[in-house]
Amino acid sequence: MNRTLAFSKRNFKELIRDPIALIFEIVLPLVILFIFHQINIPGETYKLENFTPGIIVFGLSFITLFTATLVAKDRSSSLLFRLGASPMKSADYIVGYTLPLLLIVILQNILFFTVAGLMGLSFSINTVLAGLAALAISLFFIILGILLGTLVSEKATGGIGSIVVQLVCFTSGMYFSHEMVGEVFAKICEILPFESCLTVVRSILNGSNEITARDIVILTSYTIIVTLLALLCFKRKREQ
Amino acid sequence: MYSIETDNLTKKYKNKTVVDNLNLKIKDGELFALLGTNGAGKTTTIKMLTGLVKPTKGKIKILNLNLENNSQKIKTMLNISPQETAIAPNLTVKENLEFFAGVYQIKDRNEKIEKLVKDFKLEKVIDEKAKKLSGGWQRRLSIALALINGPKILFLDEPTLGLDVIARKELWHIIEKLKGKITIILTTHYMEEAEALSDRIGIMKNGRVIVTGTAKSLMKQAKASTFEDAFVKTVTGEEL
Repeated sequence: MNRTLAFSKRNFKELIRDPIALIFEIVLPLVILFIFHQINIPGETYKLENFTPGIIVFGLSFITLFTATLVAKDRSSSLLFRLGASPMKSADYIVGYTLPLLLIVILQNILFFTVAGLMGLSFSINTVLAGLAALAISLFFIILGILLGTLVSEKATGGIGSIVVQLVCFTSGMYFSHEMVGEVFAKICEILPFESCLTVVRSILNGSNEITARDIVILTSYTIIVTLLALLCFKRKREQ
Repeated sequence: MYSIETDNLTKKYKNKTVVDNLNLKIKDGELFALLGTNGAGKTTTIKMLTGLVKPTKGKIKILNLNLENNSQKIKTMLNISPQETAIAPNLTVKENLEFFAGVYQIKDRNEKIEKLVKDFKLEKVIDEKAKKLSGGWQRRLSIALALINGPKILFLDEPTLGLDVIARKELWHIIEKLKGKITIILTTHYMEEAEALSDRIGIMKNGRVIVTGTAKSLMKQAKASTFEDAFVKTVTGEEL
């Protein structure tokens, strides 16, 4: 077993043994999906085929929150100091944190699509493809969590992570279309990556042609920038 | 032969010099205590010696190898028990040992873990989560983890901080058993600990080692009747 896998295994155990994290990452999005379906709100946004992708992206925002908490906790407990004296390299940490979180994202997607299926969402190859797209998008959310956990204290991760959750709620379009709230807000939604995340998952799930080149450029750019920043900041913080 | 040699080791953060032209020579198998008031530069020195922080100036030789060019190789031969216990809280004692055995890629890992469990008398807490252990047991586990790779050099940063007298004496006994087998660099604020355990003591002030010697020689040099008085006189230049 190599170093990265040993670290991944440890992180997976830490994550699945934290009941609060599991409630927010899995149970809360499922409850929201169920409640909104029961209320039967009129409008395209709340149709199961449009709201399920919203729930998937919403679930990913909690992945950012709990990744940040895990990393910040490891910093404050000096676990990263201890590991820093070992032969592990910065990239081992990033991959070691990312792999177990990808497993949790897979678990999220299976549960979200299963519950949505039980409520009437039709299952097709597009469902699998949408799940795979969400998995790829989750890299951005995971690495954003690593970056935040590297930069802020354990106490501050809750607040900062909540901002990410709120940004996903208000700018992704999961609850309302950005055209409803004015030009400035629409521009902010376009600049931030969360609307593109939702567009990609929803478009693939529904087999529509909503995805634009802008969505791909925004998602790719954000993921690359966040990854480079995470590597740089992680290395710097370790050396302080 | 020397385990650790530093040559004008210096660390500056912006305009502040934290470690100032440090010249240390620590012999194989020696237990060297590094003392000093808060902010004297002990932790930064340890971070540089473990390869976590790059020096601004100067050279470090560990086990006759230049740290700058051989850090990966050197990191397999040393280990640290940081000031905070630095254990994985949601993992059991056994899982913590397995985790670090994976990080150091220990080949005979089961035998190694069994030996550490026996040496540190961890049998009765082996399946308990680390976060549920008392401070004394957490410290014991922390030192056991630091021995997982059979290090030639062990850094013990405040190993008995916050422990009751019984737990402290038990840890002293463990450290005494390691004496002579490996090189130990101990930092502590407890003068009686340094006096009881160390072969040699170095006292740091403003980033410099101002004196080195045995506890007795430092007492003689400071014309003090106790080691604590000798420390105070050495650091402040006056009697209390």
